[in-house]
Amino acid sequence: MNRRRFVTLGASSIAAALGGCDSFGPKRAGSLLRFAERKNEGLERWLFTSGSRNRVAADARLSGRAFPRYFVSDTMPVWNEAQRGVWRLEVGGAVRNRLSLTLDDLMKMRSTTQKVDHFCVEGWTARAEWTGVRMSELARAAGVTADAQYVDFLSFDSDYHESWDIDSALHPQTLVAYGFDRAMLGPGHGAPARVHSPIKLGYKNTKYLTRILFMPTRSGGYWSDRGYEWYGGV
Amino acid sequence: MTTTSGQSLGGAKGDVGFTAGVPGASEREPPAAAARARRPRHHWVVRVTHWVNFVALGLMVTTGLRIFNAFPAFARKGESFCCYPFAGKPIPNVLTFGGWLAGARNYHFAAMWLLFVNGLVYVTFIYLHGEWRDLVPRRGDVRDSWEMVKFYLFARPEHPHQGKHNALQKSAYFAMPIFGALAVVTGIAIWKPVQLAPLTNLLGGYVWARYWHFLVMLCLVVLTVVHVIMVFAVDPYSIRSMITGGYNEAKSPEARNARPFFWRRPMRAAPRSDGGIDT
Repeated sequence: MNRRRFVTLGASSIAAALGGCDSFGPKRAGSLLRFAERKNEGLERWLFTSGSRNRVAADARLSGRAFPRYFVSDTMPVWNEAQRGVWRLEVGGAVRNRLSLTLDDLMKMRSTTQKVDHFCVEGWTARAEWTGVRMSELARAAGVTADAQYVDFLSFDSDYHESWDIDSALHPQTLVAYGFDRAMLGPGHGAPARVHSPIKLGYKNTKYLTRILFMPTRSGGYWSDRGYEWYGGV
Repeated sequence: MTTTSGQSLGGAKGDVGFTAGVPGASEREPPAAAARARRPRHHWVVRVTHWVNFVALGLMVTTGLRIFNAFPAFARKGESFCCYPFAGKPIPNVLTFGGWLAGARNYHFAAMWLLFVNGLVYVTFIYLHGEWRDLVPRRGDVRDSWEMVKFYLFARPEHPHQGKHNALQKSAYFAMPIFGALAVVTGIAIWKPVQLAPLTNLLGGYVWARYWHFLVMLCLVVLTVVHVIMVFAVDPYSIRSMITGGYNEAKSPEARNARPFFWRRPMRAAPRSDGGIDT
């Protein structure tokens, strides 16, 4: 290689690299990235144990009012009883007994209170004390059948939903939460009830919950269909 | 004396290398000068992993900075963080890749395998093939590094005598895979802070692990930038050696008494008997 060829080659590779700056990358990389995501999911599901716990010290400081509020609708979704009737949580799909629970029904079930981290996909974390019913408790009450491999959590926040693998859904730290820091969950955090678990990234934790659907196949999700990884486990 | 234990080209049948430096090994080798002349300065595995690493590291850093920009700070919500003065200031987007958070994450979690597997191949190869001898720290490296600093600062007229690399280079190339391994470990800790909680806790929890991951990235970037500057400023002839393997010892920094941006013109007719090769 002579000097001129070297300089030309060098300059064109630098130009190519600069062209990549601030870009989404080539379209053709998509299938490779999806392949990597599938393989990563396999590894993450292999790493997952139901005995894993997110532990936060009992005296740890809570984020309180600094805990970010978030929804996808234009305005904060608030359940309008006059329009939609009493809020109910429907539990259905691959179950023996379908459930339709009012907030009172939910609060009468065995409750769990846990101080845990919240891992956002953006990189921040926040701490709160959540009160609610374990998903495993709800699954037991509904009599989940053997073909239920996935769970979809649907909301009244536009078309927001996220589906999970059943193992993560039945993890002891996965709650259907109605309490936040020893008070009732506010509309900024997904009232009347939401999914909360420290084992999944924030966007997997559907707020403004209306339906829990046990399914033999997965059904994507609001952010999962928009490019974020479906598994989203931490 | 060369410390490289390259495979003896045309050696006896069953000779699988690892022979240099072993007493009696020279009997089975062709004349030393001829063997050296045909042996590339960097084995092809080293050359390939070097450039794959360049791509992998470039992808990891640029997509990582894009991910960082989604929350360019370290404090947990409602708390403060002691040690990052630029909280809230995003990295300029021209230094990032992936287009948006999800795109950058998808690239990051794919390219991590390229970085990891390539690093593993490189480290395994230099361990088995002997190149580690040119990089491993030895007693006297501190003294030799100090001599190099004095030379670069014109406090010493002649280039210190060196092996394949000078003492400063050696420590940089030795540090690189270590920082690479630290980047992998701190990265795993913030990828799986619950399933691998013991690892994350070992690093001081999620917030600190994320900070270590960022600092390790900075160290890798600084090492890389200094390396590239020094290649062009001190030994541009070594670029060829990392592509084709060819290197003319008569143009080595020691032969040219090369300081950054300041060296003697190499002799036109370089003596060929000392192992210099053109490819």
